Amino acid sequence: MSLLRYTVYRLLQAIPVMFGIAVVTFLMVNLAPGDPVDYMISEELASEELIASIEARYGLDEPLWRQFLNYLGFSWFLGLLGVPGFADAPPGLLQGDLGLSMYYDRPVSELMLTRIPPTLMLVLSAYAFALTLAIPLGVVAANRRNKPTDHISRIIALFGVSTPSFWIGIMLIVIFGVWLGILPTGRMVYPWRDPAFYGYGNHLELWYQTLRHLFLPVVALGTLQMAVIMRVERSSMIESLQSEYVQLARAYGVSERTILRKHAFRPSQLPVITLIGLNLTTSLGGAVLIETVFAINGMGRLIVQSIQTLDYQLILGTTIVLGFVFVIGVIITDLAYAYIDPRVTYGEEA
Amino acid sequence: MAIGEQQTREEDGGADDEFEANVGWRYTLGRIKSDTTARFGLAVIALVLAVTVITAIDTHLSRLTFGALDDYMLAQAAPMLDHPTRHPDPGTSERRMPPFFVDGGSGSITDNPLGTDEAGRDYLTRLIYGTQISVFVGLTATAIGMGVGTVVGAVSGYYGGWVDDVLMRFVESLYAIPALVLVIVFTVLVSGNNPDITYAAVGVAITFIPVFARLIRSRVLSVREMDYVEAARATGVKDRDILMRHVIPNSFAPVLVLATLQIGVTILIVAGLSFLGYGAQPPTPDWGQMLNVSHQYMLSNPWMSVWPGVAIMITIFGFNLFGDGLQDALDPRIK
Repeated sequence: MSLLRYTVYRLLQAIPVMFGIAVVTFLMVNLAPGDPVDYMISEELASEELIASIEARYGLDEPLWRQFLNYLGFSWFLGLLGVPGFADAPPGLLQGDLGLSMYYDRPVSELMLTRIPPTLMLVLSAYAFALTLAIPLGVVAANRRNKPTDHISRIIALFGVSTPSFWIGIMLIVIFGVWLGILPTGRMVYPWRDPAFYGYGNHLELWYQTLRHLFLPVVALGTLQMAVIMRVERSSMIESLQSEYVQLARAYGVSERTILRKHAFRPSQLPVITLIGLNLTTSLGGAVLIETVFAINGMGRLIVQSIQTLDYQLILGTTIVLGFVFVIGVIITDLAYAYIDPRVTYGEEA
Repeated sequence: MAIGEQQTREEDGGADDEFEANVGWRYTLGRIKSDTTARFGLAVIALVLAVTVITAIDTHLSRLTFGALDDYMLAQAAPMLDHPTRHPDPGTSERRMPPFFVDGGSGSITDNPLGTDEAGRDYLTRLIYGTQISVFVGLTATAIGMGVGTVVGAVSGYYGGWVDDVLMRFVESLYAIPALVLVIVFTVLVSGNNPDITYAAVGVAITFIPVFARLIRSRVLSVREMDYVEAARATGVKDRDILMRHVIPNSFAPVLVLATLQIGVTILIVAGLSFLGYGAQPPTPDWGQMLNVSHQYMLSNPWMSVWPGVAIMITIFGFNLFGDGLQDALDPRIK
């Protein structure tokens, strides 16, 4: 199978999972005891007509199975095919329509569009930070196994996985923002905006300021990933260093440096790639807290706001989209894995 | 957190069978005893559990004294009852006092060693009582998640076919939604916008189903092919009995390691949940909730934000250290 066919195959595989995400989220939100309309209007104002008009506006007057078909966008297709009863069904998830936010009274997809880039910027930068530190540290720890360097890195990694990211964020704000006063702690700067918007002269300054603003949130979010990746890098590096091909290279008199660089390093990155994909969901969850601490207007903050305002449609939409982002992330890392590892024969279940 | 790592270690877990002599409880215990870091982890866990039990007894004794009073009335009766967990302890100390070693603090290690909180309550006392919630949720959520996840994973791996397909797609969907988001949505919506720590525990347990299910399934897939399972099937033992008596017990060692690590993950998630205001509700002391309040005073009283984080870190560190040692002890390839 070619890489292209493998890509298509992986995308097809993702469909049931994406469907599952939509089902799980939809059921959780809709089977919960509360009634969204009750949260929207006060008791004195609640009249039969008002409730009915609100329910009609958000499509809550239909039976649950019908709401589900509407939400997913199946109804729209059925309407297209001319199935009776579905003639004027609204577009849904499949058509990129996630309904109307009850609090903002605007389309959910429109609200989310501006929120996704900041979150991606934060999460990807956190991974960049984690990888630049974790890979060298992991390699060094593996190379000096059971020596002080190894033990110290193990302790650091254990502290990394034991510390809440948002607390690291708070401490960083206290130390660098308040105490030393050398780094900004809020009012995020986004590089895709016009520099003049922030009063900067040119794009270079804008990028510099973005990096400065990103630094603390990225360290807070990336520490956990750094710790986890470092441990996996170490154990997989140890495994490669003990493998037969490395022993063979050693027997041929290849120097340890070359072995480390040319033979052991590349195969050791494969578990790390898998890990990045799987841990994307942890990072997205962490982003919810980090965005709250550092006041970044991303998806995470949108979710927190949607829960504060009990905006059912927005809760549904944001949760499902975060799940989708994870699924796509896993596919990308899987493809990277297949691309890097020459042993992978596409199509066979790993 | 550690799921990827579990996965990579699991993939080559098949080598276990060649080292039958190196497994077994007595052997494992012996190895943990000789592992300094694991012993240290165990000591931290023991301390945390002891604190939980003692504070829990104390809380319940004081509630017994006031027999019929519910939590609300206890809070009302606050001035009569000098108890740190249930009432705001008004006016006994200056509010938001820094710790004793800082200028402006109590100056004495015996008064309010770590200072006071936004209502003038002793910070150290609240920190100690906060252990209860974390440990309670950590243990219950992990236990429920482990139980349900084990059954789902075992059934999925043992029966295979469409059962496996359906269950695994469900488990993957559940895993795809960030745990914290799932727990918040579950806690707020299912409780009818009246979040409580019990809902949080159940929510966390749900997010743990995937990790446990996937781990046990991968083990079951190899155990299923063992001769003794084949023999049991041939002699007409029922599928359910094979699962419960042979397959699950023989797949359990890595699950135990994961459970130890997941207790730490639970405490992290609940801290995040309470930080956002959807976990334990005031006046119950809880580390995440204390961080939620102290976050507002971050600029003027940074010390208030330090302590709960340190408490969380030490507790989770203990569980991770022990889990790490347990993993090494159960891994026959490491000598």
